[in-house]
Amino acid sequence: MPVGLSVDGALGYPSPSRPFRPSRYVPVSAATAFLVGASTLFLCFTCPWLAERFSSSIPLYNVVVFLFTLANFCMATFMDPGIFPRAEEDEDKEDDFRAPLYKTVEVRGIQVRMKWCSTCRFYRPPRCSHCSVCDNCVEEFDHHCPWVNNCIGRRNYRYFFLFLLSLTTHIMNVFGFSLLYILHHTKHLDQVDSGVTMAVMCVSGLFFVPVAGLTGFHIVLVARGRTTNEQVTGKFRGGVNPFTHGCLKNIAHVLCGSQAPRYLGRLRKPHSVEVQPPFLRPPLSEAQLEAKAVDNGIQQSKSSLEIMESQSTDADPPPPPKPEHRYPGMPHTQNEECSLLTEAPPTPSLYKYRPSYSSPGKNHTASTHSSKMSRGNSMTESPSVPVTTGQPSYRSDPSLSSRGGAGCRGGGEGGKAGSGGLGGASTFGGRSYPSFTDTLLQSAAASCSSSLRSAHTAHNALGPLISEGTTSTSYKSLANQTRNGSLSYESLLTHSESPEFESAAHELSPPRPHPPHSLSTAAGAPPISGYTSPFLSAQQREGSLQACPAPLRPSPNRAFLRPTSSPPSRAPPLSPRARSLGSPPPGPAPGHTPLGKSLSYAGGAELQHRPSSSGGGTPMQNSTIKQNVANHNTPSHKPVGGVKKVTGVGGTTYGISV
Amino acid sequence: MAETHSLQDLRQAAVTSKVFVQRDYTSGTICKFQTKFPAELESRMDKQQFEETIQTLNNLYAEAEKLGGRSYLEGCLACLTAYTIFLCMETHYEKVLKKIAKYIQEQNEKIYAPLGLLLTDPIERGLRVVEITIFEDRSIGSR
Repeated sequence: MPVGLSVDGALGYPSPSRPFRPSRYVPVSAATAFLVGASTLFLCFTCPWLAERFSSSIPLYNVVVFLFTLANFCMATFMDPGIFPRAEEDEDKEDDFRAPLYKTVEVRGIQVRMKWCSTCRFYRPPRCSHCSVCDNCVEEFDHHCPWVNNCIGRRNYRYFFLFLLSLTTHIMNVFGFSLLYILHHTKHLDQVDSGVTMAVMCVSGLFFVPVAGLTGFHIVLVARGRTTNEQVTGKFRGGVNPFTHGCLKNIAHVLCGSQAPRYLGRLRKPHSVEVQPPFLRPPLSEAQLEAKAVDNGIQQSKSSLEIMESQSTDADPPPPPKPEHRYPGMPHTQNEECSLLTEAPPTPSLYKYRPSYSSPGKNHTASTHSSKMSRGNSMTESPSVPVTTGQPSYRSDPSLSSRGGAGCRGGGEGGKAGSGGLGGASTFGGRSYPSFTDTLLQSAAASCSSSLRSAHTAHNALGPLISEGTTSTSYKSLANQTRNGSLSYESLLTHSESPEFESAAHELSPPRPHPPHSLSTAAGAPPISGYTSPFLSAQQREGSLQACPAPLRPSPNRAFLRPTSSPPSRAPPLSPRARSLGSPPPGPAPGHTPLGKSLSYAGGAELQHRPSSSGGGTPMQNSTIKQNVANHNTPSHKPVGGVKKVTGVGGTTYGISV
Repeated sequence: MAETHSLQDLRQAAVTSKVFVQRDYTSGTICKFQTKFPAELESRMDKQQFEETIQTLNNLYAEAEKLGGRSYLEGCLACLTAYTIFLCMETHYEKVLKKIAKYIQEQNEKIYAPLGLLLTDPIERGLRVVEITIFEDRSIGSR
């Protein structure tokens, strides 16, 4: 049916079937009952007299308006609002572990943030929002209307708007004509007809006020080119709405635009084209040949990186001015994380968690945040980390990444170096880091704590570590822990088996001060608010550092958690980013290292590429097996300033600054 | 989907990787894809050709979303018939989508398949990305 009912189980499954909740149908049933019931009674009891007394066009007019209202009501109720099908696994790989929670894009000159949807596994296009009732991302999401028991989005907003207009008109008609009837039958009010008419009048009078109010509200929205969601969340309160084209054009777009296609339930034609080698190759230009020579063969994520850099938007209010690309106070190669950050795409260090990919590098970058953090080397060292490739548990190190991210971000965001990290983080105040293009450092710093996507989905399970929508450095990985309980660092540390971040998530808990969880502790112990959590006091970090090597457990999860262990399972796409990592920053404060390391580790490959230098310890090896060797300086770097070198699985060596 | 590909690949080349061309939101929410040439395709195809394909797609989508007399009439007719017209008639957008599908099929047959690439209709991904599948070039060696 061309109208496109939203069908569960159709091609492009929007969401798994949900339990039947009868309470969802109460408002829509009531609305239908009142509409149909009152109108029918009016048409049966009042209209005959009106036709007789005045003209038969009155009932006809009322019937037409009623049918129009009903048609729009049905369309608004049954039409697919513009649900996006879930992204497939292979698409997800593009935005690998190091991908930030937010991507910013520029829409007509205004920075808009696109948020990673952990349920649907893609970055929500501008104006798209995830409806928790329907559990779907809806294009141009307006709101979820209980009276029609459906989301109102791009495809059915017009019908909803027309429904409101026609319903207001219909109510006014019914009320008006009923009043007319009553005024002419004041002496016959005891009759059935009069009684029914009075009842209908009361019902219509009662519903008139809210319906007219809502209609007026939507008229204003249409004129302004805003959705209810944007209006209610105050997205463009002080700023400019990039989606408006002027009042008339906005109205035209709503009422005269062509019917948008549905995305679900489409028949997918298999490719009828056979692709068989040998394939043609375009002639390589000189530049390409040169590039080929130096290229290590890993190109995959480059374009996605660039894309991420260039577009990051969300339909959030315009983000604050982009912080400096690099954490100002931090030398470029301050530590693994930092170098990772500088070279990795300037995205917040919150990475999305992907069970099939672990990119610890990403998380690493998160940890590079403040100068304090610096020398992630110590963090990265994880003697006991025979990181198992492909251990999903590695990836799910929300706490680590978040921690690192938050820390980094905190520092970066405020443009403060070192100690500014914490302060910086605090400035986030719960705002997601909007600028994707900020250095990883910043993102790493900030992301650690709050911007974890998981926070969003896991209801701030991480508590102080994750503040919903605060830091920009949320990790997709964390966000992807939708169905998990709290994400606790502890759980990540302790959870050995389960590759699922779920388990990690559950285990995640506010960091405990004991040494084995030094990392987590460091990250979470202090009474840090969301994004500031990753910033540990120097002492804590110190402590965690000391504790770092020891508690490392062979479990992959733990290994992953340990900043030093870079799980080889990290996705290959990390390599380009990892590659660019510079040398670790000189002499990072030891206290920060563990945090940074852990974060960086969580972040994935980023950190690893940093050669350890002054006290920085070894950069964490890229967890990805593929990326490992090419990008890491591991073999070559020597721990300085008391950096302990540890060899992990996959030939990665980590330097832990002691 | 991935399975479909792999099944097909048994008969044809193996999939090396996929490139996703993202949407270009600089002009708003209209359907437009980035014409930036992805790095992964640098060695596999001509940049001009790629840009041309994407530009054509963008133009087609712009045509689909155009607020013109056609869409207005369609809307009026739908209103008058209490939307029952949708049961028998195809909307303007759907018509253009068919055109786009045909165009992509044509491009695949003529240009992309010989290069070991395959374009996937973005409507399958909710008009969010254009997926380009890169096939392993066994004769030369995959990159």
